[in-house]
Parts: sequence; C-alpha cells; structure tokens
Amino acid sequence: MKTPFQPRIARKHVGQYRPRIDAFEKATGRAQYADDLANKRSMPDLCYAKVLHSPYPRARIRSIDDRKALALPGVLGILRYDELEVAGLKPTNAGWTDGVDTRSYDAMDWPHYRDRRVLGDYACWVGDEVGAMVAAETEAIAEEALRLLRVDWEVLPFVLDAEEAILPGAPLLHPEIAPDNVLPDEELGGPTRFIDRGDVEAAFAAAPVVVEGSSVGHNPTQASLDPWCCVVEWRGDRLTLWSNSYAADQSRMHLSQMLDLPIAKVRVVSPYVGGQFGRGDTGEQPFFIFTALLARKLGRPVKFKHTRRESFHDGRQQASYTARASAENDGTITAMEFKAIGNAGAYADHTIAALKTVPSEIVEVSLAHIPNLRFEARGVYTNKMPACMMRGIGNCQINFILGLMVDLLAERLRMDPIELVIKNFGHEWEALPDKSLSIVLRTGAERIGWQERRHPPGRGPIFARTRRRGVGFSFHPGWHAEWQEERRGEVEVAMTLNPDGSVLLDAATVETGTGSNTCNVLSCAEALDFLGVSPADIGWTAIIDTDVSAKDCVQTDSAVAYLQSEVMAVAAGELRQKLLERVAAQFDAGPADLDVAGGRIFRRDEPDAGKTVREALMAGPLLPICVRLSRPPLTERTGVPYMATFAEVEVDTDTGRVQVLHMAVVNDCGTVMYPSGAESQQIGGQAMGLGEALTEEIVYDKPSGRPLNFNWIDYTIPTMLDVPDIDPVLLEVWRGGGEYGACGIGEGAVTCAPRAILNAVYNAIGVRIDELPLKPEKVLVALGKGR
Amino acid sequence: MTSVPIRITVNDRLHELLPGHDFEVGTTLAALLRERLGLTGLKVSCDEGACGACTVIMDGKAVLSCMVLAIEADGHRITTIEGLPADHPVIEAFVEQSEPGYGTAMQCGYCTPGFVMTAVALLEQNPRPTLAEVRVSLSGNICRCGCYAGIAQAVLHASEKLAARGGAL
Repeated sequence: MKTPFQPRIARKHVGQYRPRIDAFEKATGRAQYADDLANKRSMPDLCYAKVLHSPYPRARIRSIDDRKALALPGVLGILRYDELEVAGLKPTNAGWTDGVDTRSYDAMDWPHYRDRRVLGDYACWVGDEVGAMVAAETEAIAEEALRLLRVDWEVLPFVLDAEEAILPGAPLLHPEIAPDNVLPDEELGGPTRFIDRGDVEAAFAAAPVVVEGSSVGHNPTQASLDPWCCVVEWRGDRLTLWSNSYAADQSRMHLSQMLDLPIAKVRVVSPYVGGQFGRGDTGEQPFFIFTALLARKLGRPVKFKHTRRESFHDGRQQASYTARASAENDGTITAMEFKAIGNAGAYADHTIAALKTVPSEIVEVSLAHIPNLRFEARGVYTNKMPACMMRGIGNCQINFILGLMVDLLAERLRMDPIELVIKNFGHEWEALPDKSLSIVLRTGAERIGWQERRHPPGRGPIFARTRRRGVGFSFHPGWHAEWQEERRGEVEVAMTLNPDGSVLLDAATVETGTGSNTCNVLSCAEALDFLGVSPADIGWTAIIDTDVSAKDCVQTDSAVAYLQSEVMAVAAGELRQKLLERVAAQFDAGPADLDVAGGRIFRRDEPDAGKTVREALMAGPLLPICVRLSRPPLTERTGVPYMATFAEVEVDTDTGRVQVLHMAVVNDCGTVMYPSGAESQQIGGQAMGLGEALTEEIVYDKPSGRPLNFNWIDYTIPTMLDVPDIDPVLLEVWRGGGEYGACGIGEGAVTCAPRAILNAVYNAIGVRIDELPLKPEKVLVALGKGR
Repeated sequence: MTSVPIRITVNDRLHELLPGHDFEVGTTLAALLRERLGLTGLKVSCDEGACGACTVIMDGKAVLSCMVLAIEADGHRITTIEGLPADHPVIEAFVEQSEPGYGTAMQCGYCTPGFVMTAVALLEQNPRPTLAEVRVSLSGNICRCGCYAGIAQAVLHASEKLAARGGAL
C-alpha cells in the first residue's frame, strides 16, 4: 500500500489524483501523432523523402552524380546542396529553435556558434544529414535512390575524444568558430573559469580535510518512441508544417526567417508527440527547411521521417569532471572546485548551457553558502553525435560529481552524508539549514530505510553467497521555479465562456506526455469555479495550430505544468468581470453590485435570488465572452525547493551485475498541480536515470568513427523487468510566488538517479567506480576480477 | 508472374490484397495495417522488433507487426487496437489508472496501444496473472516515459475487471 500525498491546501481540482484527460484517446489508439496524420491514404499526392547521411565522421562532398538516382522509376526529384536556394541559406544553430521562447534569428542564444548548414557539403559525424534529399513515391524507392547517388567524398581526419581534440594538431571541426576545437567564451556562459569566489587555494591549504574526486559521464540519447517526422505542404505561397516538434510558435518563426516568408504565410501544426525528453533541436531545424524546399520544388506535399537508426540524432553532453572539496573537522565545507571538459560532438548546440549556465544556477540555489568556490569548463567539438538538450541538461552531469564529493567528504569526516548536506547546502535567500532540503532528505531516508540499511562501505550483509547490498542517495535543487523562467517571456492563455456556460480553454502547449494539458484543465476548472464548471465541462484541444491557437508555451524546463495555470488564475478574474458587465442590466444593477459563485449570478443585496450563469447568458446576445491574456513569469526571487533520489542496490560480486532493488524519490513541488502526473514523472525519471546509470551507452568504433549501436537491440533501454519498485513521495514544503507557487518536476526527476545508484554500489562493495554506465565488466575490474 | 491475393481478417473484416499491387512482397504487416488500411493505432517506433509499439494480436497471440511480413499474415486473423471495444477491461484500466503511488499507465501514449494489445493477449491466456507474471509478459515493450508501475497496476486491475465480468474478454 502506497501513501498518497497530502496537499497543504485542499483544492477542488488542482492537487487531485485522477486519470489523465487524454487517457482515453491514448489507450484506444485514437490519439494522432505526426506520423499518423499523413499517408498516401489520407493525402494521395504525398511523396516521401530521404536524406543522405554521411558515412564518415568528417568529410566534404566534392560532387554528387545523381543521374542514376533520378532515372529510378518512382523518384520525383532531388534537392541538392549546390542549388542556389540551399547554398544561400543562413548558417544556424540550436540557440533559437530549441529554447524556452520564440526567438528571432538575430536574437538567438549562442550567436557565435552558428555552425550548422542546412543540407551543406561538410559532414561532421557519421549520420550528419548533408548533400542531397530525394523524394519518391514510396520510402523504399527514396532509400534505393539514395544508394544510387554517386558521392565523391573528400574523407578528412577526425577526432572522437574531447581530450584528444584539444591537443595541438588535432583535426579542427569548425576552425572559423573554434580555432582549437574549444568553444570560445561568450556572454551567456562566461569565461572558462566562470565562477571564482573567495580564495579557493588558501582554503584548501588551510583545511584539515581535503578530498579529490573525478567522474566520467557518457552520452545517452533521448530515445523518444516517436521518431522525428514532418510533413510540409505548400498551397500557393503558403506553407503548412505538421511535425512532432515540441514547439509550434518557435518553429513558425524559424521557418519564416530561414525561408524569408511573412509569418502569415507559415502555419505550423503540432499534434500529440510521442515523447520529447529534450530532443529539441539538432535535427528539426535543418530538416524542416530542406523538406520545405523540396516540397516547393516538387509542388507536392513531402513527408520526412527518421528511421530508428536516424533517430539517434542528439543526446547528453558527455562530461568528465575533476573536483576537490575541503572541510573543517565539524563538517563545515570551506571550498569546492570543479573542472569539466565536455564533449559537444559535431555541433555546439546547448553544450555551454550544460557546462556553464546550469552549474551557475546550481551555485545560486545549492552552493550559496560555500565561501570559496571555483568552476571551470570547456566545451569541445568532436566528430561524435552532437549533444544538445537531453532531459536534465547539465544538471545530471554536475549532480554526478557533486554527489560524489559529498560522499567522499562524509566518509573522511565520518559523518552521515545526509547531515553533511543539510549542514552545508542551500540557496542564497535563507540561512542554513534549508527547511525544504532537510525535510526532503529525512523523508527519503525514512522511506529507503537509511539507518537500517546503510553500513560501512563493503561491510554489509551478504546475500546468496556473492551478493552485497548497499544504499545511496543524491539530492538536487528542483527546477524551475517561476522566477527562474524570466527568460521565457510572455505566457499566453485564452478562455472562452460560451452562452450555455461551457468553457473552451486555449492553453496551448504541445502534448509530449508531461501531463501539462491535464494540469491546465484542472487549474482552469479551479480558476473558474465561480462558474460551477468541472473539468468535464471544459473543451480543450491536443492539436496546436499556429493559425488559431494562442502562443504555445514551449515544453521545456518542466515549468509548463504551472506557468499557464498562473496566468489562468489572473485571466479568470478578467472573465468574471466581463461576465458581470455583460449581464448587469438584467439585474438592474452595476457589475460591482453583483457576485457570481457556484454557477449562480446574484445581487449582493439579494444573495438568495439570482440566475444561473447559463440562464443569464442565454438571455443575452449569445456571444461568447473571450479573455486572452499574456503575462511574463513572476520575478519575485522565492528560492527553490529540493528533491532527492535514494536507491538500494544489490551487486553480484561474481558476475558484476548491479540490480537496483528499490528506489525512493522525493520531490518538494511547492504545490502539486496533478499528483498522478507528478508521480508518473517521478517514477519515469528513475527509469530513465537507471538506464543512464547502468545500461545505455553509445559505442563508437574508434578506427572508423562509426557508432555501433544505433538500434534498440544494442542500445538497451530499461524495461519493466529492469525497473524496481519505486516509491514516489510528493511534498509541499517550500512555496513560490503566485496563486500556486509550484516548481517543475519532470526534467529534474532523472537527475539524481545515477549518482544515487553509484553511491549505493560503493556502499555495497566498498570500491568506487565513477564512470557511467556502470556495466558488469567495470564492476569486475574494480573488484580485481578482470582486466 | 501472376500473383494471387492474400486474405487477411482484420478486426473481423476480411481483406483481399494483391501482392505487387496493394502491397510489396517486402511490406511488413505493420506498414500494411497503417498505410494501406489506415489503422494508425499501432505505432512503428523501432521497426526492428525491439520495442513492442507495433504489437497486434494474430490468432490470439501478441506479435510484433514490424517483424511479420504482410504476406505471412495470409489466412490469419488480426486484431488491432481499433478492434477492441472502448469498454474493454484493459482499455478501461489503462484509462483509469491513477492509483496513488503508481502514476498513470501512460504519459506520451506512443507505446500504449502496444502495451494494451500485449496485455490483452496475456489475459486471454492467463486471466489472473501475478505481478511477476505481468512484469515478464510485458518486458518486451518499452515505455520510454517509464510508466511501468502504472502499466502493471492497470493490467492487474484489468484482470479484476475481467473476473468481475465473468471472465470473458
């Protein structure tokens, strides 16, 4: 029996366990995704496109002979890199197509890193989409045509490892941007040493306890089930894009500016999306554009869809950290230093966000009380699959090393690491100990059985002769609270009250699975409770269409679950006022003399008389009452809540197999908007983190630079048998600003799992392994049983 | 070369389809169902038998329709997600799942039709599975959102619904 969460304030709809609003559509297979929207059956003149992928990690196209491909029956046309309208396209990057808000080309993040060409002639990794796109009557014919292209490649030297890429003489990927492969300093991320507080060296010299550690991450990928897909159709000079991008308005701006079309000539439709996980960008901006150009050239709609192999397109920045930490004998941490080298892969994308921006945020909200602090990071181009914005960007990497330093320090100090964390970490707004952090950690400890199951490293009980058990945890600040979303800009919602009292909600956000559409309907019902509406009375749509929808709130930073709800809370007041103004004459009164509650409108001086909202509206001009409101996120700096993952593992010292037996995941959310959805995020985040910790890894063949396991047989994603019982715990301790004062949960849910599992492994076997993923062979080597 | 049509019964409706005309010899059952018959409930995610999103029921057994050629389905009975009644106990249980502590039975929903069909096949063979049996039987399906706890609960609840309805699916 699990323990349900208890809300701090009982509300009618928000905070209630209940089914998802889209569950019926999804469970019956009726929910439509991009790939379901267009096929030959529904769009007879549809053609299918395939794009050339580089077979080399670094190569330039000298020429392409496409005569044989064009002669293949069923081939409809080819778009080439050397056509004027392709070659003339602006260079681009992820800084304006994978952000929290719509950006223009000129205002993109990372303007110095415009390293991507659309269908260019220069390939930077095996799989890079370059050179030519073929359209045919079927996908099979398009694939066959690709094989008939005779490409003259100038094969160039390449480099896979970040450490090798920074050595003199290494092949340079984008020398005009990074003359030594190191992404140059820029404004957003700051210099290489982007944090340098106090006197770190002096603190280390003076401290009685100093520990050193290092960690090596890897490059897991989002592995959304729904492969990238887009369909582009032109009607005259007007373009429509259907896609499974997580951003509609942003995509519209991107198409408009890359193709030099007025915004009014671009329509973007986003249906349900089969999983996002930060798979934001690295493919779609180029392929939206070349699909659009090919569709225009052919005068027919074109569909472009990745195969599973091609869906291995971006992932997490592989980061290696070295770190030092010092403390007084009483456990007061005096200094910390972190140095990172991060593998950006072929394109910069958001690598500097992962390596610098996110750690800066962690410093503000977790390390605020550490007096001496130094962070250095370098992002490096290599010829691997690019890394971009995978769920938990930057946070997973920094958590993995920070959690190690906590464990190392605690062991040297002979302290419980939970006490060490509570003693030292918190944000800059409050004195220590932080209330949220303390309660989160103490709750997690209780749920996992910390006192009973924790033991000196490698000294625990032995099971089945060869198996040792241990427990570990890691903690992290929640993100994002509303004040941290300042850069998002205006958040828009629209609500329409129909004459019959029903409501249409337009809180546009692409439904990637996060459950924010359910949150929105619940908070709409909550805000409009005076109308007497229930969630079932509220019409909503899963399809975002930029021609008619409000601006969509981009599915990033896990903040959508409450950002639109906060705006709705304000918009509801406006709707209430408009309603009273509309019906005031019927009551021989002014709007100020009226009130509305529980679906009834009445004069304040006659509270027992009155009419229902429906009666009053139906007696009027039968015109819906519309409110459309946008508002920037609140900027009041309220701090953040915390979260933690606790894990119990069992390590077979004969086989090296690590089995996670049990996990407890604790999130202080401020306000839990939709507990069933929040628990899904908590549980699902552990499943993904468990894969990152133990099994998922992209393996490269070093001599050829080719990735070897771009498939789901060899890239092993956890299944139901791999994921243990997970205890999701939701708390409301901290509170942000606004009506709800909530904090995001989904993206962070994945953050702590790898470190919690690896600390538990150390507790089990007494040998540290700090390289992900923790495969059995690494365990055996660490135990001295293999080479 | 003359070809003879294949006969496939899909959701109780017989289809006669001509190889080389209605589909190619290399066309998978998944592609035939989605592209030719418009049954887009099943999803093609990995197209290599690794994820279970394309699961349909063939003659009572769950099969991965991306690993079955259309031509191999000749003479067989296929049920897709569209062939289940909306009040099917498995569908109802997946829709309703929100029991505290387990999360919902889906998030993005892309894997859901595959999980539903695998669960239907399981319950047809084993109407009262244990949690351990559910976990083994559904381990060929990937839910990247990680809703495994909610899915397993939904299948157990579907089994209870089934028993309450007298055991008939």
